[in-house]
Amino acid sequence: MSEKVSNNNPFCQSKGGKRYREKLQKAFFCFATYFVLLCASVIFGKIIYEGTPVLWRMGTDFLTQKPQTLAVVEAIESDSIEIPTENFDNILRSNDDDALPIDNVEEFEKSFPYKRFNLMPGSIIGEGYLKNLEQQNEGFFLIYTERDTESHVGFSIDQEKSLTLKSPDFEKLKSLTPDLIPEKITQRHITLNDFKLTIAQGDYNISKTAHDALLPTSLVFQMREGFADDDPESSQKPAIIPSTQIITVDSNVFFTAFDEDEEGTLALQAQEELPQKTTFYDFKLAAGNYSAPLAALSILAKTGIATQHNLTRGSIIVNLDEPVELELSSSDYENLVANNPKLQLSAIADFAKKADFTRFSLAQDAEIRIDSEDLEALNQANEKSGNFKTNSKNTHSYAGGGILGPIVGTALLVIICMIIALFTGIAAATFLNEYARKGAFTKSIRLAMLNLAGVPSIVFGLFGLGLFVMLAPSLTSTPHTESKLSIPLVPLASTPQLRIIEEKEIHMVKHKVSTSEAIVAAKSESMKYFHDGWTYLSFQGWGTCMLAGGFTLAIMVLPVIITSCEESLRAVPMGFREASLALGATKWQSIRTAVLPYALPGILTASVLGITRVAGETAPIMFTAAAAERSDMPWEAVQATGFSAFIEFLQQSVQALPYHIYTVAGRIPQSEYTEPMQYGSVLVFMLIVMSLATVSIWLRLHFRKKIKW
Amino acid sequence: MQDTAQSPNQQDVNSTSNTKPEGKSMIEIDDLSFSYDQGKTNTLRNITLNVPEKQVTSFIGPSGCGKSTLLRCLNRMNDLVETSRITTGQIRIMDQDINAKNVSAIELRKQVGMVFQKYNPFPKSIYDNVAYGLRIQGIKKKAILEEAVEKSLRGAALWDEVKDRLKDSALGLSGGQQQRLCIARTMAVKPKVILMDEPCSALDPIATAKVEELITELRQDFTIVIVTHSMQQASRISDRTAFFYLGELIEYDTTEQIFTNPSIKQTEDYISGRFG
Repeated sequence: MSEKVSNNNPFCQSKGGKRYREKLQKAFFCFATYFVLLCASVIFGKIIYEGTPVLWRMGTDFLTQKPQTLAVVEAIESDSIEIPTENFDNILRSNDDDALPIDNVEEFEKSFPYKRFNLMPGSIIGEGYLKNLEQQNEGFFLIYTERDTESHVGFSIDQEKSLTLKSPDFEKLKSLTPDLIPEKITQRHITLNDFKLTIAQGDYNISKTAHDALLPTSLVFQMREGFADDDPESSQKPAIIPSTQIITVDSNVFFTAFDEDEEGTLALQAQEELPQKTTFYDFKLAAGNYSAPLAALSILAKTGIATQHNLTRGSIIVNLDEPVELELSSSDYENLVANNPKLQLSAIADFAKKADFTRFSLAQDAEIRIDSEDLEALNQANEKSGNFKTNSKNTHSYAGGGILGPIVGTALLVIICMIIALFTGIAAATFLNEYARKGAFTKSIRLAMLNLAGVPSIVFGLFGLGLFVMLAPSLTSTPHTESKLSIPLVPLASTPQLRIIEEKEIHMVKHKVSTSEAIVAAKSESMKYFHDGWTYLSFQGWGTCMLAGGFTLAIMVLPVIITSCEESLRAVPMGFREASLALGATKWQSIRTAVLPYALPGILTASVLGITRVAGETAPIMFTAAAAERSDMPWEAVQATGFSAFIEFLQQSVQALPYHIYTVAGRIPQSEYTEPMQYGSVLVFMLIVMSLATVSIWLRLHFRKKIKW
Repeated sequence: MQDTAQSPNQQDVNSTSNTKPEGKSMIEIDDLSFSYDQGKTNTLRNITLNVPEKQVTSFIGPSGCGKSTLLRCLNRMNDLVETSRITTGQIRIMDQDINAKNVSAIELRKQVGMVFQKYNPFPKSIYDNVAYGLRIQGIKKKAILEEAVEKSLRGAALWDEVKDRLKDSALGLSGGQQQRLCIARTMAVKPKVILMDEPCSALDPIATAKVEELITELRQDFTIVIVTHSMQQASRISDRTAFFYLGELIEYDTTEQIFTNPSIKQTEDYISGRFG
């Protein structure tokens, strides 16, 4: 009876079919949900599984070392290899302990002889020696204002060297330094053809090689646009020959510039061979230190004598108010003194610097992974003893060291971006929410923001490249010749120092000319900048630098920031504004004291989330800020002082974590040696982003508990 | 019930101007029409009434009759609504047209304070709440602030309850205390007029009684205009009562007259609870 009743009930299921279908539906939705979970666990699992061992092995060094090239060397078994202990520890860390057949490890203290001396004002020094001095003396940066081409410069020859000179060079050398040339000289006479060429007037395309060969000849020609250093050799640019000319060139030039196989060479109306007898002189110079006039040294440099003097510009006159105390390792010091005859030093003292070293032996040939810096130290330490030798060496860029540079770069980018984005975002949100009339205008702004939020990040990157890197205005006394627009403002600019002029390639305008003439003049000398004593507002962009990257990121994140700021502002009860206004507050007073303070927690939370987004972006910084490789920290490269140091600091490119990951994972050849760096970087990056997200959640909870109304 | 001296003139329907208030009039509203939508429809129509100095005047009427709107016109809080317009007439406070070009709304609001329906102390300490109005005027001296805070809190009959916890958050107070704190905050700026927009609607009866008591005392120093839904409240605390209906002033007279002998039937119907 009861069964019958239940069967007749309209809500009793006659079949199990419906229930089955319901279960299927549920299973489908369940699967979709679990699919997300599966993906997440696979991704996180893989990163953690692969990344944790890297972090474990590298420890904090992974965070405190700069990225380096990893060398994999096949070292030959050897005894008593010496290496600074610090580098030894790095090697131990980079390799599995079992794989290294290291024996007889012994620590000892090694002392290096050093010299301390005072460099006197007025000394004359070769430019190439500055590098050593500035590297070994922190904070020493010589800004020179004068050069000297008159006085003798020194050079050394390590072992006896055979030299061959053509007769005009030889005779010139002989007249310049009769003492230098030894008595034993052999002469050789060789006949070469010179070419007498008639070149027709007209417009031609010439290649860079031809251009370089023709430059020293007597041919008069004009380039519409000069060649840049980094142009490929075969690139061609238009040249104008203003009149038909007859020149004589030697065979070298002829075969370089007028080779018929090459396209775009100059048309020849006539050519005539002139046999030319050339005399060559052979002689030998013994090892030792010499000194000679600059002109003589530049002749010798053609025969391959290395020198650290700038042969075209001359030596530097040390421009100091008082002597500076400097130190240098003894070998560098001796090299410096030997090759700079006009160097004035005083108060020279010997002292020793001690360093912890480790001595070890390799029991058998072994493959060692070693960072480039460590390898350099290892080679240097064993240079004399010759104990460290390798069979082969493979290098893997970016695979060694840590990721300090990228972390610092990302942090700097994020800081700059958030300062700009928060400042603009809060101001804009305040305007939209508190001041603006609700109407078509605010609607269009909101629409614009929505659109901005939907723009792909690569577009922001290109936009940043076009606007900040190449077009943004800057105040400068040395405008770029490629500047879109240079507006002279005030004739007050300080003249740049000679060193800066040379390093930045600044064309100094001597006579008063117009800006466009100055630019043409600078370009014709293939200089990048010019200076004519005026401060310019120059639309030349900021270059690839963290400022440009920060601005690009800020614009990208602005819609998010503005929207969330507005939400936070809207969440502040209207009553606060009314109460404040009813007490006689001005609009701004009421916003400042009764609205913003209570919106701040929300803004803060949103901005932390903004940080995580900004930190992870690759595309916007690719063209605007990121450098794939950079060996120093941004602050280490700053040479200016005061406010300009700040500007210089901001105008540097930086490494960034997401870009570094992209480089390591996508742009370099993959191997088992590059993998640890990939997973380590990704894990660190993920941890940073997750901890920021945690901070954001904590902030929200904290403020929600603390502030309510 | 207040014992008020009044001039018994209850004949004319809209002739509130004939009702001669005793003493000087503080607020004179003259043929005021007001619109929220740029003059398309008038929320207030041709209101004319005078508020006497140092008395409590209450505005009563059903919801949406414009009494709050009128109140907010008095210290130009309606400026916050962009589309609002005064279409005809003017409001004079202390014989000055408050919508004249040379009048600063900020200075006006210092003279015409306002207490809101929903008590809205800032999420700051009690002390900071009361000192807020003085601080935004640029007063920083601690002695002045402390004196003003104590005086205002005493004036608002709150001093004894909070004197030991001035630095505590104002949000820790009970609803009635918070509303009295808001009154104290308004008093600290020393306004001439205090406008109250249903100050007791969010309070329980005991807190309401306290606030009403306070209002009765404040009458000695301030001109008070109060909007209320409760006719009992109006009859208990006010000297004069204005009855609004659909944006028009129906009747304005002494409270006693309105409640005992209204001259217009609509008023009588409303106060006897037949509608509204």
